[in-house]
Amino acid sequence: MHLSQNALDIKSLNLILMVVISLVFGVSPDWTESSNEACISKMTLRNFRSILSWELKNLSIVPTHYSLSYTVMSRDEDMKTVADCTNIKRSFCDLTGVWEDIHEIYLTLVEGFRGNMLLVNCTRPFMPAMDIVSFEPPEFEIVGFTDHINVLVKFPLVTEEGLQFDLSLIIEEESEGIVKKHEPKIKENTSGDITYVIDKLIPNTNYCVSVYLDSKDQDTVIKSPVKCTFLHPGQESEASESAKIGGIIILFLMAAFLTSTIVILKRIGYICLRNNFPKALNFHNFSVWIPKLPPCEAMDLVEVISINRKKKVWDYSYDDESDSDNETSPRTSGVGYTMHGLTGRPLSQASASSATSVESQSTDPDSSDQPDLPEAHAELPVIPAHSPWQLEHISEPYERRESPLQDPFSEDSSSTEQSGDRIIFNVDLNSVLMRVPNDDDNNDNDSDNSEEDPLMLLSLPEETVDPEDPHTMESSLLLASGEGTQPTCPSSSSECVWPEDAPSDKSDAVESDADFGDGYVMR
Amino acid sequence: MCTKPDMIPKCLWLIVLVGLCITGNLSLDCNLLNVHLRRVTLQNLRLLSSMSNSFPRECLKENKDFELPQEILSHTQTVKRGLREAFYEVSIQAFHIFSQYTFEPTWKLKHLNQIQMGLDKQLEYLEQCLQEEENENADVKEAAMKYSGAQGPQVHNLELRRYFNKMHNFLKEKKYSHCAWDIVQVEIRRCIYYFYQFTALLRRK
Repeated sequence: MHLSQNALDIKSLNLILMVVISLVFGVSPDWTESSNEACISKMTLRNFRSILSWELKNLSIVPTHYSLSYTVMSRDEDMKTVADCTNIKRSFCDLTGVWEDIHEIYLTLVEGFRGNMLLVNCTRPFMPAMDIVSFEPPEFEIVGFTDHINVLVKFPLVTEEGLQFDLSLIIEEESEGIVKKHEPKIKENTSGDITYVIDKLIPNTNYCVSVYLDSKDQDTVIKSPVKCTFLHPGQESEASESAKIGGIIILFLMAAFLTSTIVILKRIGYICLRNNFPKALNFHNFSVWIPKLPPCEAMDLVEVISINRKKKVWDYSYDDESDSDNETSPRTSGVGYTMHGLTGRPLSQASASSATSVESQSTDPDSSDQPDLPEAHAELPVIPAHSPWQLEHISEPYERRESPLQDPFSEDSSSTEQSGDRIIFNVDLNSVLMRVPNDDDNNDNDSDNSEEDPLMLLSLPEETVDPEDPHTMESSLLLASGEGTQPTCPSSSSECVWPEDAPSDKSDAVESDADFGDGYVMR
Repeated sequence: MCTKPDMIPKCLWLIVLVGLCITGNLSLDCNLLNVHLRRVTLQNLRLLSSMSNSFPRECLKENKDFELPQEILSHTQTVKRGLREAFYEVSIQAFHIFSQYTFEPTWKLKHLNQIQMGLDKQLEYLEQCLQEEENENADVKEAAMKYSGAQGPQVHNLELRRYFNKMHNFLKEKKYSHCAWDIVQVEIRRCIYYFYQFTALLRRK
């Protein structure tokens, strides 16, 4: 009996001891779920989003689409369908923002359809605060330096619902068997990436990092895959690396900008002006460019010798005319012009070819009524066409005639002025034509000196001259201005051109000119 | 010494004594008891969640709002003793309700027994802390109750009892049907969870 009592005592003590030990150290209960539901539902937190997923027990007939609805157990309300989880093919649903209070108990209903036929329905009350079995860790990246590691954790926007879970982000650092935990603070408005620096590390050491979310109510955690890095000595810090990269990029951009600016300025010609001139403007091969003056007319000084000749009135007889050396009858042309000649004696025999003779014949009796013209100087240069002037002869000094020059035909001396060795006579250029006498003229003109080259002047009838006509007046003015119409010849080697070869604009101005046929110049 | 047959009972007594002493010493510290209380409560909540993993859709129409007095928690969170007293009342009421459950299947009965054991431990931890605080702060408690004007624990306990009486009456009305029990299990789980949240306040203070 004593033994049996001892046995009972031992058994009771053992039982008490078992209870005490189990209560002190805790006994993990058996959480094996056994239910008659057709599917198994569970909730997970992924990137701070509440995800409800389900799995069918019986896979003989698989539904084609699902619909999810819920209600709050503590309220007398009907089932509410989740809009984003109606007729879906996936077997999970994002309930973030749908269940605002994670401390409430929500009754969920999952219905599986195949076409329009309901195959399966599962109901399960959920309390998000207690029934979320797993908190998936966020994604992260690590960058190792000499003595520290930058951990970049990718965080979504932390919602108010997510904060109700009271989770903590844990970063584990492991090296050579030693594990250290770091807990960055997660604020309510945390969004985007979080960078955490694990400093005071040992160079030349390999470190492995992992992250996970820790909940005070959850005994088990889900850790992320481990990422390791080796801390090389002399590794530049992130700031210096980024500064170098930034500097290189800035330099490259500046060089590209300057190059493009220079190219653009060069193309538009703002700098480095082009020198590829056209061939016509290329004067590089021109060592000396001497402008070539147009050939000018040869000029020479002439001495006008006037020869007074009697005016002979024609008595309409064809008797032999008495020879008169100094008498010349006014010749008339077929068109009614009166010819006057001016005879000039050359000063030197050597320059006989260069000498000119100018015959001035008396004008018509009405010539005195003609307006005074600018005086013709004794040195008026007159150029015969048949004998080219030599400019070197011009340079020879001319001897002044002592005898005055007289108009041989002029009876009215009022139109002429004699002073010394020169004679000034007024010539009405309106009635004047300049002519270079040719050989025929020399042969025909018996009264002329063979050595003389008379210059025939013609006077137009008055009726043919219209003073009011600006065109004729203009033409007469052209002839009067000797300097304007007769260019000088500065060069001795140049040939002078007779004015009758002058530009056609002068001859065009005279519309009333007639062709005299025998070499007379048209005004 | 303990290898001899005669010495085995003495060794066992010694081990038990040491265990009881350790337990007794541990029970004297309310902070440590709070840790145990939180752990036991969490286990009970998980057991209740596993028991109510299925809820027939047809039972939804019999669902009822028992009007959990949440305002008690907002008033008692500033007073540690009031929170412990309220939690003690919830634990003992839930224990009485679950003692009336006699349904199959076996796995549910097994879970229910574990829940009762856990609730009993909760009661034990709470009794020890309440007794300890009552002995140390008897005068302070009287003054706080006199000048703060806060409601006494008796008032809060009455509201909690009224809350659990509703569940008792609901079970009787539904004749202890499966749907009624499922609804009551969910409601008790919700109530215990609310007190579980405030046990963190007991640990921080």
